[in-house]
Amino acid sequence: MDFLLQLLANGLVNGTFYALSALGLTLIFGLMRVVNFAHGELYMVGGLIGWALTELLGANFFLALLIVVIATGAAGYLIDRWLIERVRNQGPETGILLTIGISIFLTNTALLIVGTVPHKVLSPFANKPLFLGPVVVTQSRLSIVAICAVLMIAVHLLIKHTTLGRAMRATVQDAMAASLVGIRTERIHGFTFALGTALASAAGSLLGSIYVTQPTIGGLVSLKAFVVVILGGLGSFAGAIIGGLLLGVTEALWGGYFATGYVDAIGFALVIVMLLVRPYGLFSVKSERA
Amino acid sequence: MIFERRFLLGALVVAILFPLLGWSEYVIHVGVLIMFAIMLATGFNLIVGYVGEFSLGHTAFLGIGAYTAALLSSSLGMPIYFNIVAAAVIAAIAGLFIGAVTLRLRGPFFVIVTLCFAEVLRIVANNWVSVTNGPMGIAGIVKPEWMAQQSALQQKVDFYYIGLALVVICVYFAYRFVYSFLGRAVVTIRENRFVAQSVGIWPYYYSLLAFVVASAMAGVAGAFYAHYVSYVGPEVFGFPFMISMIIMVLLGGKGTLLGPVIGPVIVVLLEEYLRDFKDLRFSIFGLVIIVVVLFLPQGLMGFVAARREQYARK
Repeated sequence: MDFLLQLLANGLVNGTFYALSALGLTLIFGLMRVVNFAHGELYMVGGLIGWALTELLGANFFLALLIVVIATGAAGYLIDRWLIERVRNQGPETGILLTIGISIFLTNTALLIVGTVPHKVLSPFANKPLFLGPVVVTQSRLSIVAICAVLMIAVHLLIKHTTLGRAMRATVQDAMAASLVGIRTERIHGFTFALGTALASAAGSLLGSIYVTQPTIGGLVSLKAFVVVILGGLGSFAGAIIGGLLLGVTEALWGGYFATGYVDAIGFALVIVMLLVRPYGLFSVKSERA
Repeated sequence: MIFERRFLLGALVVAILFPLLGWSEYVIHVGVLIMFAIMLATGFNLIVGYVGEFSLGHTAFLGIGAYTAALLSSSLGMPIYFNIVAAAVIAAIAGLFIGAVTLRLRGPFFVIVTLCFAEVLRIVANNWVSVTNGPMGIAGIVKPEWMAQQSALQQKVDFYYIGLALVVICVYFAYRFVYSFLGRAVVTIRENRFVAQSVGIWPYYYSLLAFVVASAMAGVAGAFYAHYVSYVGPEVFGFPFMISMIIMVLLGGKGTLLGPVIGPVIVVLLEEYLRDFKDLRFSIFGLVIIVVVLFLPQGLMGFVAARREQYARK
């Protein structure tokens, strides 16, 4: 029983991390209808900048996080205005191809700059174990989970209760009508992509203090994020969180009771089963069928 | 259509005569790689260019074909001809199964789920050690018997002609497919699904048919690759193969018959040329994709076709 509880706790912690790393992806899809294949690479960039700031320049962890968010947010805005804007309304696959190009470029340029060695972001949280009844969690993980929760609530409030968030939702619902009432939709698209990018890289530098970051990690992060958002429903905010927790717990249970070799396949198996039962995820925003 | 036929026949003549010019082993090797790439790109184009759904899991069938050939050759000692046919059949069956599940979805859902299937197969190939030998892969796939006495150069030339023959078969199938009612039905589905349904085209069925044909072609390419390299590992399911397939079809022009023939030639040559730049070449590749998407969205053949129309109007 204690073993099960421990597995569940591990699963929930990992699940929160999965949810956080998928948030940017689901946001960009939900508010822009762009499937961002460079998502994992943006995560990786966030992790590497976080590492460079804390380890090489000796910056404070939270200061580094703030710099990462601002820098990658600005970069995301420019990527949208310079690149994605040109292929808007050309169907999903041009956006996919474009972001695949960006992801290949980012991965290999990062490889050229920092090499293949894994790096870690320095964090102020101790790696000390905390005993909560029968369950053991390290202090650093618990702190990151708390920061995750804060971030998620902040983003939720931003989207649901601010003018900018309302403009974002209006733009995705009907861009024409939005521009008629005075919303500068092009800028809003830019801000949405910037928000998604900033979230991805914030996740990268937060989780970079627990796991390691290396230039080639992007593909794996993207895949896990895809699994999470498909499970929860592409574009749904709550879905990403539920999907992340579901994936984390399932992986932990499978790894604990069955073979560890196939743990990475579990997510994909879940997706395929989900597809047969509920083709558009648990919380799909919109189901399209013909 | 006439232009396409002339171009393809001309290219075939050039390809047949090419090795007779006394090239070095390396040049022939590049030729073999081009043949392999054309097979892959032609099949992939049927899905991306004609059905109009973007699959990121086409490496699944490449890998299934390669592993089928590798296992048949190493454990049962089957000859290359048998293996290629078997790989095509098995890949087609896998295509039928995977297509039947995935083609119920469209847009981004289809993209991600096809990617999931390829990834699951990669993990299985990595972990099912008793059959696939895990990350070590299957080495020592025997070359055809008649090659045993030949020089390395002659072996490569033989593989070049085997590859050319397979390419001819694949492109011929693609040609017949595209210019039949099947191809027209599939294009109708791509252009407007609702119109297609209203005139009695069943989108799911025709898309699935194209998907199966494309899978069989990828299986053939995989078997050819396995015998040529004489080694197969889990990386045949990996994303790098997928990326080069995408670049080839995209650069050549999706939805054209000539695109997936020209694209691979350019990409393979570019890849060999950029070898001097070592690691930088992949960054350059990323930029090439971005530039092509932005400035040449229909690929080279799309560009040529647009130009020809302009001339015709004048």
